[in-house]
Amino acid sequence: MLYSILGIIGTIIIGFIVSLWLPGIERKFVHARIQQRIGPPISSPGIMAPIKFFFKESIKPYSPVPRLYNSLPLVGLLSALLILLFIIPETYPIGALASIVAIVGFLKIEEVVYVFMGSLSKSVMSLRMPFPDLAKGAKHPNVQRSFLEDISAMRAFRLIAFGSFPIYIALFIPVIISKSIFLGDIVAYQQVHGPILFSAAGVIAAIVFFIGYMILLNEYPFVILKTKADVIEGPYLEYAAKSRAFVYITRGFLMFTLAALFSVLFLGIPPNIFTWGILVNILVAIIFPLLMASLSAFAPIFTFKQFYPVTLATSILGVVALLAAFI
Amino acid sequence: MDKNIIETEITMGTVHSAAIEPYRVRLFVEDEIVKDAEITVGVNHRGVERIMEGLPVEKANSLTEKICGICSGVHLWNSVLVAEKGLEIEIPERASYIRIIVAELERIHSHLLYLAHGNEVLGHETFSMRLFYIRETVMELLRMIGGNRVQYGVPIIGGIRPRAELDEMKIQKINEGLDYLEGKVKEFADRFTSDPMIMSRITGVCPIKREDALRLAVTGPTLRATGVEFDLRREMECYDPFEFDIITQDDGDIKSNLLVRVFEIFESIKIIRQAVENLPEGAIVDRSWEMQDTDIVKSYVEAPRGTLYHSYALEEGRVRNVVIRTPSMSNIGAMQYAVIGHHITDAQLGIVQCDPCFTCTDRAIEIIKI
Amino acid sequence: MGLKSYARARAIHAMLVYTGGCNGCDIEIVNAVFSPKYDAEQYKIFLTWNPREADILIVTGPVTQQNKKPLEEIYKAIPEPKLVIAAGACALMGGVYKNIHGDIPSEEIAGPVEEVIPVDAKVPGCAVRPEDVLAGAVSILPKLLEAK
Repeated sequence: MLYSILGIIGTIIIGFIVSLWLPGIERKFVHARIQQRIGPPISSPGIMAPIKFFFKESIKPYSPVPRLYNSLPLVGLLSALLILLFIIPETYPIGALASIVAIVGFLKIEEVVYVFMGSLSKSVMSLRMPFPDLAKGAKHPNVQRSFLEDISAMRAFRLIAFGSFPIYIALFIPVIISKSIFLGDIVAYQQVHGPILFSAAGVIAAIVFFIGYMILLNEYPFVILKTKADVIEGPYLEYAAKSRAFVYITRGFLMFTLAALFSVLFLGIPPNIFTWGILVNILVAIIFPLLMASLSAFAPIFTFKQFYPVTLATSILGVVALLAAFI
Repeated sequence: MDKNIIETEITMGTVHSAAIEPYRVRLFVEDEIVKDAEITVGVNHRGVERIMEGLPVEKANSLTEKICGICSGVHLWNSVLVAEKGLEIEIPERASYIRIIVAELERIHSHLLYLAHGNEVLGHETFSMRLFYIRETVMELLRMIGGNRVQYGVPIIGGIRPRAELDEMKIQKINEGLDYLEGKVKEFADRFTSDPMIMSRITGVCPIKREDALRLAVTGPTLRATGVEFDLRREMECYDPFEFDIITQDDGDIKSNLLVRVFEIFESIKIIRQAVENLPEGAIVDRSWEMQDTDIVKSYVEAPRGTLYHSYALEEGRVRNVVIRTPSMSNIGAMQYAVIGHHITDAQLGIVQCDPCFTCTDRAIEIIKI
Repeated sequence: MGLKSYARARAIHAMLVYTGGCNGCDIEIVNAVFSPKYDAEQYKIFLTWNPREADILIVTGPVTQQNKKPLEEIYKAIPEPKLVIAAGACALMGGVYKNIHGDIPSEEIAGPVEEVIPVDAKVPGCAVRPEDVLAGAVSILPKLLEAK
């Protein structure tokens, strides 16, 4: 019992420490190299920035419900933490929560949080900028005016509706191949039959998972939720100090967690500090962001005109993999 | 079909990540599609025409350079042309050639800034960074000729400043710089037009039709992108010795605007090469003129964004009744119509596609109905 | 050096506000300092457009009347500790618009930046040189690191 609790805590700590370095690696070794410049040190975006934000003055955000708004990044961090918790093999005996269905639920929390953040934020960089707009002769003076973050919340809503298809379809292919929704059974199946990645359905599913990973993390080109081109930062506009530090930490943590999920579902190697498997997890956690950053450095922002077809094509690919898994 | 349902209004304020100058945009949208737009200029009004009233003519000329940071050379050139036309001064040929070299270098760096900023609004940080790196070559050439990267102040009344004289080493550096530019911009253009993701973002987005462009008084590369073949450089006397093509495209959308400016960079490089090769010998400034009183004199020049107009009168060596009219004044108004019917993120590109220079434009305007 | 000063020195977020003028300084800063040739990210200075995330505010341009209130609001929105750099001749003294001494002065300039918000570093130039902006930013860092 003590052994398993130690295993759980140790794995979470190692995951946390690795995730602190991931944004820096992405920024320096990929983005800066492609843009032909030197780039910041590796520790700056991932570790030093959150620590600096902890030491800033905490201000009251401009929001109808400031306390709820400030607590939302913690909800996001918690859901990422819960996903990591239930991938660790010591928790498989619990059964109900260590299953694909629970993971889908936790990912959903992650997405719904954006909608709340967007509708609760009223920043000075959007409508509250003092400017005499409604002067004599202005067009349409009686129209309802909205903040930029409201647009961001509507886009998050749309992304919940269709943007999560790829990753959900990809999550169900190991279920079909190993005929069980419990993570323990999926890992056990792969220890007998070899990793799912090495089958036809597995390769296609891995590609679909990767694209779903990019959509979930809001990387270019799927960045319409918080693009610099019109909504400046989107839902995060009013976060300062501690809350912003949690926003930064959540992003790195989610990168690690989803890579560990990939390694459990497609390679059959769960993160367990008492075996050498943890090294494979760390390797996948470093390769995925590097791959993602190299693809995103060469892509513009997709508006809905391009987003819909790409998601549709990826979902169709996922369904093809599903059918291949049945055979 | 009721086209006039407006659900809400989105404002992007004076300080925004997609704007490099302060302006205010109000987009009236329904379900993220723009139904109407209102662009407010005047945030940057400094009263330049008012400050210039009564200044000695050399000082007034140096003030026109500070109207805009991107197209500063062409404002100074046009203002000096007004004085020279009024006082009937003939400048030496070598000075005219060097003025054209500087004006064309400015056109190149202004178009490169437009392409880099357009890529940034498109979301493509990599291309934007690469274009800024290429642009540095032109800034270094301008610093070599004029002494400063921005606001180099080469023309003066009667010729050019003695510091801007070109010698063997400078001419060789200019040629090397042009070779580098030509190679890199060609590489960029090939890479840009063969990328399907970018092409699907910019083809057919926010177009403006030819009749609308002529009715709304659009000028410059934005007009040439709709298919009208008009370039004021063909009418200017000082450009007579040079041979260049007028670049046009057909659709008037964002892709046409980008391509017109890319090809214009190549034409400018052609003109500079001709100027450097055939540079005549002689003096660079003619100081043997006398100050007189003149009536209001007008002068038109092709700036990187269109037709630029300056006019003033001289009285006892002081400037009176300055009127300046920049090309962006009508281009920006026309963009309010081009964005209707498109998504908000595309509308941001649609406003930037006419290469607006809001700082040039902020002036008191009197609207006269024709 | 405690953890506070060390972390503050290794991740600095700078926000740029342009308040008018000819925008030459603005283009020199955004497009030169944060671009590959003079890359400011290697000195751990990141560009941001959100005042809630910023530590340093770089102001260019003489403050025109319509830009005065936005500048004050943005300054108030930045959490402590914060610093302000005024870059360019317009930001320092109103530039050429306030000091050309013609017959009629301009009424549109609300004064140099000092009269609107408190300024910590002054970088001269017209247009300001990219190397000078970096030097100015680095010179006031000790104030940022040692603040409470």
